[in-house]
Amino acid sequence: MKTLIVEVIDAKRIGELVTVGRIFGDTPDIVALGSGDIPGNYNKAYCSDAAVGSNLIDGLVELIKKEGYELVLLSATTVGAEIAGPLSVRLGAPVLTEIIGAKSDMTVTRPIYGGKAMTTFKINQTPAILTVRRKYFESAIAEGTTTPVPLAGAAGAIRLVSEEAVKTEGIPLDDAEVIVSGGRGVGSGDKFTILRDLAGILNAAVGASRGAVDEGWAEPTMQIGQTGNIVAPSVYFAVGISGASQHLAGIANAKCVVAINKDEDANIFKRARFGIVEDYAKVVPALIQALQEEQ
Amino acid sequence: MHIAILAKVVPDYEVPTADFELTDGRAHSRYTRMIGLYDENAIEIGVQLKEAYGATLTIISYGKTQDVTVLRKAIAMGGDALHLVLGDADDPFVIAANLKMAIEQLGNVDLVLAGQQSADMDRGVVHSILAGMLDYPFLPQISTIKSEDGRWMVAQAHENGVRRLEFSGKGVLSITSSPKNVPRIPAVRSILAAKKKPVEKIDGIPGTAMPVAELSVEIPKMESVCEFLPLDDMAQTCKILLSKLREERYL
Repeated sequence: MKTLIVEVIDAKRIGELVTVGRIFGDTPDIVALGSGDIPGNYNKAYCSDAAVGSNLIDGLVELIKKEGYELVLLSATTVGAEIAGPLSVRLGAPVLTEIIGAKSDMTVTRPIYGGKAMTTFKINQTPAILTVRRKYFESAIAEGTTTPVPLAGAAGAIRLVSEEAVKTEGIPLDDAEVIVSGGRGVGSGDKFTILRDLAGILNAAVGASRGAVDEGWAEPTMQIGQTGNIVAPSVYFAVGISGASQHLAGIANAKCVVAINKDEDANIFKRARFGIVEDYAKVVPALIQALQEEQ
Repeated sequence: MHIAILAKVVPDYEVPTADFELTDGRAHSRYTRMIGLYDENAIEIGVQLKEAYGATLTIISYGKTQDVTVLRKAIAMGGDALHLVLGDADDPFVIAANLKMAIEQLGNVDLVLAGQQSADMDRGVVHSILAGMLDYPFLPQISTIKSEDGRWMVAQAHENGVRRLEFSGKGVLSITSSPKNVPRIPAVRSILAAKKKPVEKIDGIPGTAMPVAELSVEIPKMESVCEFLPLDDMAQTCKILLSKLREERYL
């Protein structure tokens, strides 16, 4: 199946889409957003400096029709959300989002109801468009690099005025083997300090539930869950997190969840490997102390 | 300024995973119905635009007559009118075609807002398909909107931070939650007034569904294996936890 990846230049994100592409056929071709060489070897590689995926639709439609791509793969990220729907209309193509499973017979699986149920679809027509939820497919190792050629038609109605990147303190969530994450049960933004202290000792990243982000206690870039970061750490410390299904969807691939919550009925304990039913304000300092004594 | 806000009535998204049941591949009908997870954030942003610029807000939904009771909350929050397109399709192209019809019937919509994604099918794509059908620009994950000199200035919550973007003319924006758009709780007086507002019901159109077949819907098995640690001595509890994490090679 002739497949095209559309993704920002990010080796891991591209690698996950290459893995999905190889389920359906050979290594896909690629349109990369950004400048510079693209990690991996591709028969055809294009690049665009379009700052917004929405501005790329015309160019993509032209390329997909000209080259006869049967499948377009995007990650379930901002750029994927910008492109998938409008592109599907322009191509008259079916679009399935947030897929977490795929087979070569064109069946794909995606979660519904916040991950409480899974649906399997058979795609009956190409071209088709899929957005792929992050961290569900191993990232193919990129060998070498490919120098892309510019993709035409990147003009569009939307202008990027400015971009404020949030600097991550310590380990980025994407790479973290250990994550310490806080929810509404933490009580205030100030009290995230103790979670950062714990994370510092564990060489961990700090995350937050949607509730904590909505309260303004944590940056939106720290949000973990269905509509935030999808993470796959070895250990996930869920501190004061109730465990809404939308949050659990973001930690489905965590190997071990440690839940610290004073509510013994909290849903998070159903996902946890280890549970401590106690006020986190008593548990986290003791955990920090135990780790410091080990050092 | 006329703003259309899309709102979908969905089953209670806070039903715990362990209590969740399906009937014919969809959430059991016993669950309470409510406005979608992010749709209330979209309504809140609409109300903020109404307060800042005097915008008129029309709430548009695709669903069943019984959804009206739930949707009246959107009016109580500040919506001016409620248009319900009657239908029960699950296909995003069919839903988008029906919403397009309702928007075109209004005729003078400047901006379409919708929640980032619903809390049932979780596709997060109906609004962007609608944008494609309307041939409007589309931007997802918007947290704030301003109107300046005929342009829309928006903040987009991006994976790496915040982007400020601008465009002119009509557009479709999906709204994410942020501390700046926490949905307001309607006053009792507004709730009572909302009950008296007439609702425009529109017969739906068949539309054309995507060429995909839904093969199965299943609830994944989630066996609880949580080992609760003793609480007598917290220092000891933490040492036990760290020891177990290392024994099982998680740390």
